[in-house]
Amino acid sequence: MPEREFNPGTGPVKEGVTPGEADATGAGGEPARRRRIAVWVAREIVPHEARIRRWLARSRLSPEDIDEVMQEAYCRIAMLPSVDHIDQPLAYMSAIARNLMLRRLKRQQVVVFEAVSDIETWRDEETPSPEEQAASRMSYERVMAIIGTLPERCRRVVELRKIEGWSQKEIATHLGMTEKAVEKQVWNGVRAIRDAWLRAEALSEGRMTPVEPKEARRW
Amino acid sequence: MVTSATQQARDEAARFVARMDGDAWAAADEAELQAWLAQDPLRQGLLLQTQAHWLALTPQAEETAAEPEVGEEADTAPSGAWRRRGVMAGIAASVVLAFAGLRWVQSPAAYTTRLGEIRRLPLSDGSVMTMNSGSELTVTMAQQAREVELTQGEAWFEVAKDAKRPFVVASGDVRVRAVGTAFSVRRRETGVEILVTEGVVETWAEGDRDLRMRLTAGDRAMMSAHAVIDYETGVSSSVDRALAWRGGMIDLDGRTLYDAADEFNRYNRRQIIIADPDVAREKLDGLFRVNDPEGFAEAVKASLGVALDTSNPALIRIE
Repeated sequence: MPEREFNPGTGPVKEGVTPGEADATGAGGEPARRRRIAVWVAREIVPHEARIRRWLARSRLSPEDIDEVMQEAYCRIAMLPSVDHIDQPLAYMSAIARNLMLRRLKRQQVVVFEAVSDIETWRDEETPSPEEQAASRMSYERVMAIIGTLPERCRRVVELRKIEGWSQKEIATHLGMTEKAVEKQVWNGVRAIRDAWLRAEALSEGRMTPVEPKEARRW
Repeated sequence: MVTSATQQARDEAARFVARMDGDAWAAADEAELQAWLAQDPLRQGLLLQTQAHWLALTPQAEETAAEPEVGEEADTAPSGAWRRRGVMAGIAASVVLAFAGLRWVQSPAAYTTRLGEIRRLPLSDGSVMTMNSGSELTVTMAQQAREVELTQGEAWFEVAKDAKRPFVVASGDVRVRAVGTAFSVRRRETGVEILVTEGVVETWAEGDRDLRMRLTAGDRAMMSAHAVIDYETGVSSSVDRALAWRGGMIDLDGRTLYDAADEFNRYNRRQIIIADPDVAREKLDGLFRVNDPEGFAEAVKASLGVALDTSNPALIRIE
C-alpha cells in the first residue's frame, strides 16, 4: 500500500538476478575465479604469511592452532566472489586472522582476559621492517634453489612450467612424456615448493618468538 | 592420527592443484574437486593456500593477473564511483546526494517508529524494511546507490537485487553494504550490531579501512568506529532468535534477566526494574510477546520465586 507514495518515476522493479549480478564472479566460471584469487593471494599474502603467523604467535596459541587459524582465514578468502574491492590485502588478511583467533581464544576457557583485550588493540603496521622482510620473504632465488634440488625429471618439468610458462601439454610433447606423467611431476613440484614455504615460515617463527612481551605490545 | 589425516589432505590438495594446472580440467574434475571440498570446510583454505604457494614468484601467473577481466568491468565501475563518494556520504548522506545528483535523487524520506511500534515498509526499489520499536532512519534512493541512514534503533532489510545500485546502511561511522540479501542493523550504545539472515554483506567503518569485513548468513558482528567488538559466525539460530521482534516476539535464549528487562523496556512505556543484582544475573528461556511485560514479570515470579511490585502503573519492580 504505501509503495506508491514513494515510488515516483522509478520503473517497475526487476525480479531475480540482474545481468550485473550474474557476472559477479567474472568470466570463466569457478576455476577461473579460484585461480584469480590464488594469484592474488600468491602476490599479496604469501610473501607475508610468515609475518602474519608470527603476529598470531604472540597470542600464545600453539603452532597447530595457528595453522588452523590461517587455514580458516584462507577459507574465508576462498569464498569471496572477487578480491578486487580489497585495497589493503595484508591488513585485510590480518584483520580476518585476528578475529578468528579472538573467537578461538574466547572459546577456549583458558582465556587470559588481558591477552584478549591486548589483541583487540592489535594493528598491523603498514610496512615491515627490512629485518622482517629478510626473515619472512622467500626470494625468487630461493625458489630457484629449491627447484634445483628436485630430482632431474621433476626439475625439468617444474622449470618449464613455472619459470618458462609452458603448458603441461607442451611439456609432455617436448619431453616425450604422457600428460599424466607431467601432471605427476607437477604434483611433486607443488608439494616441494609448498613445503619450502612452510619451512621458511616455521623458521622465521622460531627466530622471532623469543621477544620480550613488552616489546611485542608495541604492535 | 590427526597429523596423518592432515598430511593426506595436504597431498590431495597438491594433487588437485597439479591437475588444475594442466590443460584437461573438465566438468567431471570440477565435480570431483567440489565433492572433496565438501567433506571438510577447512579444505577450501588448504586448497587456496597450496595453489597460492605454487603460483607465488611465478612470473607468468603474475602477468596474466594484471590483465583486467572482461566480465568484471561492469561491476567495478559503479563501486569505484561509490567508493569515492562514500567519504562525503559519511558526513551527511542526504545533503551531499541532493547536490551530487539533483535530477535522479528522490528527496530523502524520513521514517520513525514510536515506542512499541514495529513497522514494515516496502521501498521503491522492491526492498522491504522492517523497523523495530523506537527507531529513526532516512532513505535516499539515487540512481547510483540506495542509502539508508539509521540514526536510532534497529531495522531489518530484505534487499532487492540490483548490482548496479549498492544498498548501503550507515549508522554512525559504521557502513553495511549489500547487493541482494537480508540483514539487520541495530544502533546500540556500544556500537552497531549487524545480523545477517541471508546472503552476504560487507561492512566497514568510515576512516578505518582495516575493519572491512564480509559477513554471511548466520553471522553476527558488533562494530564500533574503531574496532570489531564481537564477531560470531554460523549462528543462524541465534540470529533468528535475535530477530524474533519481527513477529512481535522476544525470544530469550538463556539471556540474563537484566538483558531481558532491557529488551522489554525497548518496547513498552511500562518499564521493568530489577532491585536485586543477583536476581538480574539469573538466566532465562522462553518466547514472550513484546507488548506484554506484565506476562513476562509473572513468568519470572513463577520461575525464580521472586516478588513483584506492580503498584506503580509506569513500573514493574522485580524484588
